Amino acid sequence: MITTDNLRNSPLLKFLTVGFAIFWCLLASFPIAWITIMSFKLPVDAFSVNPLEVIFGYRTLESEKGFSLLDIALAVAVLYFLFRFLQKRKSLPNDKGKLSFWLTRGVVLPVIFLGLFFYLSFFTNAIGAKIGFLGKPILGFTLENYESVWVGREFYRNFINSLIVTTGVVSVSLGVGVLAGYALARVKSKVAFVLLIIALIFRSLPHSVLVTGYLPFFINSREILSPFLGEAAPTLYGQPLAIIFVLVAINQPFTIWMLKSFFENIPTELDESAKVDGCSSFKAFYHVIIPVMWPGVITTGLFSFLLAYNDYLVTSLLLDAQNQTMVPAIVSYFNRETTSTDQVEAVAAAVSIIAPLFILVLVFQKQIVSGLTQGAVKG
Amino acid sequence: MLNKFYLVLFSFAMLFGFLSSQCKYTSQVDLKSLSASFPVWKVVTDAMAKCGNLQAELDQEYRSKVVEALSANPSLYQLVGVSASSITPLIDQNLIRPLDDLVAKYGKDLSPNQLIKVDGKVMAIAFIVNAQKFMYRKDIFERLNIKEPKSYSDVLKAAEKIKKANLIDYPLGGTYKTGWNLAQEFVNIYLGFGGKFFNGKGDASVNNSRGTKTLRLMKNLTKYMDPEYLTSDSTYVQKQFQQDKIAMANLWATRASSMNDAKESRVVGKVGFVATPSVVRRGKPATTIWWDGFVIAKNTTDSEAEAAFRLGLEGIASEVVEENSDVAIWLVKGYKPGQLADAVVAAAELNAPNYPSSLKMSVMHTVLGKNISNYLTGKKSAKATLADIEKDYRLAARESGI
Amino acid sequence: MLLFILVPLISVLTQSFYVTQPKVEVQEVETCSPGILTQTCVTESKQIPVLDEKGEVINETTFVGMANYWNVLEIDLMKEAIAESNWADILKIDFWSALRFTLMFTFITLPLVIVVGLLVALTVNSLIAKLRGGIIFISLLPFIITPIIGALSIKWLFAGDGILTVFLEWYLERDISIFSTAWTIEVLMLFYRVWHVAPFAFVIFYAGLQTVNKDSLESAIIDGANHWQRLIYVIVPHLMPLIIFVSLIHLMDAYRVFDEVVAFSSQAYVISLQWLTYDFLIPNDGGYRSISRASSSAMLTMVGIVIILIPLLRRTWNDYVGGKS
Repeated sequence: MITTDNLRNSPLLKFLTVGFAIFWCLLASFPIAWITIMSFKLPVDAFSVNPLEVIFGYRTLESEKGFSLLDIALAVAVLYFLFRFLQKRKSLPNDKGKLSFWLTRGVVLPVIFLGLFFYLSFFTNAIGAKIGFLGKPILGFTLENYESVWVGREFYRNFINSLIVTTGVVSVSLGVGVLAGYALARVKSKVAFVLLIIALIFRSLPHSVLVTGYLPFFINSREILSPFLGEAAPTLYGQPLAIIFVLVAINQPFTIWMLKSFFENIPTELDESAKVDGCSSFKAFYHVIIPVMWPGVITTGLFSFLLAYNDYLVTSLLLDAQNQTMVPAIVSYFNRETTSTDQVEAVAAAVSIIAPLFILVLVFQKQIVSGLTQGAVKG
Repeated sequence: MLNKFYLVLFSFAMLFGFLSSQCKYTSQVDLKSLSASFPVWKVVTDAMAKCGNLQAELDQEYRSKVVEALSANPSLYQLVGVSASSITPLIDQNLIRPLDDLVAKYGKDLSPNQLIKVDGKVMAIAFIVNAQKFMYRKDIFERLNIKEPKSYSDVLKAAEKIKKANLIDYPLGGTYKTGWNLAQEFVNIYLGFGGKFFNGKGDASVNNSRGTKTLRLMKNLTKYMDPEYLTSDSTYVQKQFQQDKIAMANLWATRASSMNDAKESRVVGKVGFVATPSVVRRGKPATTIWWDGFVIAKNTTDSEAEAAFRLGLEGIASEVVEENSDVAIWLVKGYKPGQLADAVVAAAELNAPNYPSSLKMSVMHTVLGKNISNYLTGKKSAKATLADIEKDYRLAARESGI
Repeated sequence: MLLFILVPLISVLTQSFYVTQPKVEVQEVETCSPGILTQTCVTESKQIPVLDEKGEVINETTFVGMANYWNVLEIDLMKEAIAESNWADILKIDFWSALRFTLMFTFITLPLVIVVGLLVALTVNSLIAKLRGGIIFISLLPFIITPIIGALSIKWLFAGDGILTVFLEWYLERDISIFSTAWTIEVLMLFYRVWHVAPFAFVIFYAGLQTVNKDSLESAIIDGANHWQRLIYVIVPHLMPLIIFVSLIHLMDAYRVFDEVVAFSSQAYVISLQWLTYDFLIPNDGGYRSISRASSSAMLTMVGIVIILIPLLRRTWNDYVGGKS
């Protein structure tokens, strides 16, 4: 750690640092916060020119219910007591290294919070009318957009498809990447390295070209493959499994590269000492490397996950509507013949897509930093 | 509480009774459809899905894969939604089947107007037409004492008045987004001037006085538009209209009903609709008529094709049309035009031309979309832009074998 | 993996030397299409692809040498411009204007991403530990969110009367339309890319800062080095491999710039190389893709990235071979 005392000595520097930190946080979070606000409003408010109308949602307030000052105070109170509860109780998982620790903080607590909040706001609404101004809703809020996305448009199907594709991509690319990265780090073969560099350059080829190359093959795969596979020949177009391989192929060079750098930072002596103890290469890998590789694997895995989860070009062209993942599904909301309602629904869908990413980062944040620190990205 | 329960029960019962009465034909065959994704298609495919095992894929970019998808054997989709221009490659490459026998067998409810014929063979069943119509703010026009514009010079005069009065951000809106939209505007106005895209030898000919006039008019109109017009598509213009930012625009007829949707619009009841103005005095309205319909893929079994065709007819049954008469201008029997259709009907009565769809025109449309912005941004002169359009057309045409 | 990578690569290379087109003939065709009231029928001569006996379109593939490349480069216009030494005219050619923007974009965002990433990393590192977790989380947001959604959310803030445009108009007291001039769009694209990628640089640099040798920092302090000198002489050299890594990844990604053009629909003003290729590939209304021109522009794009990456790759290669035990 280089939190040098020196850095904190100068008040000006301290001021600048804190100022920049605040500025950066605003810059980083503002667009996302803004679309989140929009997604809870009716279209006429969401696309209003006046920012106050977007935030308070006057028209949303008129036709739907909203939050009153009392509700907001209630939310703050519930949040506060939840935190106090957390600090006092030791029964919750408290080991920061454990997944369960982050899972409780990332998933369980927000759910408890929302549940408690809505339950209590039921009562405040009942008494709200009697206490005048405090109980009067001032913040327009509607879940209509989310409802029509998830229920009306059956967005959960796309969510499941995203889940299938990302799970597949992450597991395949890590499986291949760990073995190939380990081999490259230990064997030092020039041929393999040249291949890796070529593959990296290939990464810069426009993806659209690749996809167009795959498209005719995917559509006609049944005809093309039937001489080899007979009746079992599949139509690859629209199959999530086929997409998994395309996405893995595109990103594999990067995955191998990261894991290679990571393994290079694990001293060779470790596996050599294991070999001296009479282990085979595979056993050495299994007993010595696997226990220490997790931070690097998690970090690399997160990058694969982001690629698969966020991809648009490949998924939009090679999947049909039934198997579409979330990103191409919402982009189709934006196309030529849409209405403002469609667009706000798309915004709600966009926020729904981002939400799992939030939780993911919340859960794995520590591992990402420690994984990178341990050298997964040494040039 | 109990009351609510009965209400739900009752509405369910209604719903099921309604559903079962709606289908004249039900099918157990597994079918897939591909079409564009505007509201009409949602209505139609939903209606079809109620009567059979249909997996409908609505994709605004369906053109980018429809040719490949139908070339596969068996075809990936049995039923495909097409428009006046996207049917061209399917016919040319022999990917869809003639429907004469099916029409003879099941199509007694179809009106002759709906049958798209190529060389006497029915290739597609159309069910809606779409064109642009002129929408304007009645309140502003009344206040400034402006009459409904009959021609584009009226529009320019009105725009100038509105600009001077400074009542609204921009007098005029236009779907001038680079690409397909911008090209469509050019086509509308150029045809309005009486222009022809190809000469007798079949070569491109837009570099003429009519072409120049078209570009000039477009540029004049843009002076009254939001300066970001080159990124405005229909949705954006519609949104601006709804948010009280523009006073008039020439928009697709299917956009009209949303002007009066209180959830989206601040100008409910203030918008008037008339036929698209002409560019020359007492000329034809400067718009083209488009149709949408469905076709059946060639590479499918006969029984699948038959099921798909019959299911397609269920999607455009009169009951569906009656319920959704505001969504589009239907060609189906039993459709009673509402207020929405009047302006378009008026345009048609004044003989607005059909979109001149052909293989060559599709190349031309794409090339136009890429080049016109060069003139509007001032990068190139009108002459140079038109010359480039012809040059690019020749290159693209040569590549696609024309 | 090789199959997935090499096969498309080779096919793109070959296709860039050939033109495939359907055989066409002229026919008289009568087409009837619906009007609002009655049907209209038109008979005209149309070019129609010829079908073989199986009912499939006959395609002809011809070798055209470099012709596709010359078409993409619009060589005749180039010659003209050079002959008249009218350099501005060259930038009116799609390919060259795309190349100009792509290079400009790549080389302006690169230092910005590294500097912003480093600044954020240093800032976070000097904050007290309690605050760090939250700030790291917020900082990572722009990187993890789906690029298309990120770009669109920024577009909504600026397009038309987006609230930030309104704010700027109020602040500068003048009318602003970001999407009506090329340079404002370019600035917004640069801003978006830096916003999106700087967190990636940040988290890597931050990880690197955790391993800075404390002893060398302390001895630098004893030697009387100020903050700036410590940064330049101790921290930056330590982070150098990471800076190279980030540069490598960023160069490859920025050179492929595409999402911004689509999300900001900037094609009337600004296009990039990958967008050019994509545009050739999108079928026109007749369903035809100019695959041959797309292939040659893809190949040209690749040549460019190889040239840009050579210095960085050589360094990595030397490290790899040199580090061989």
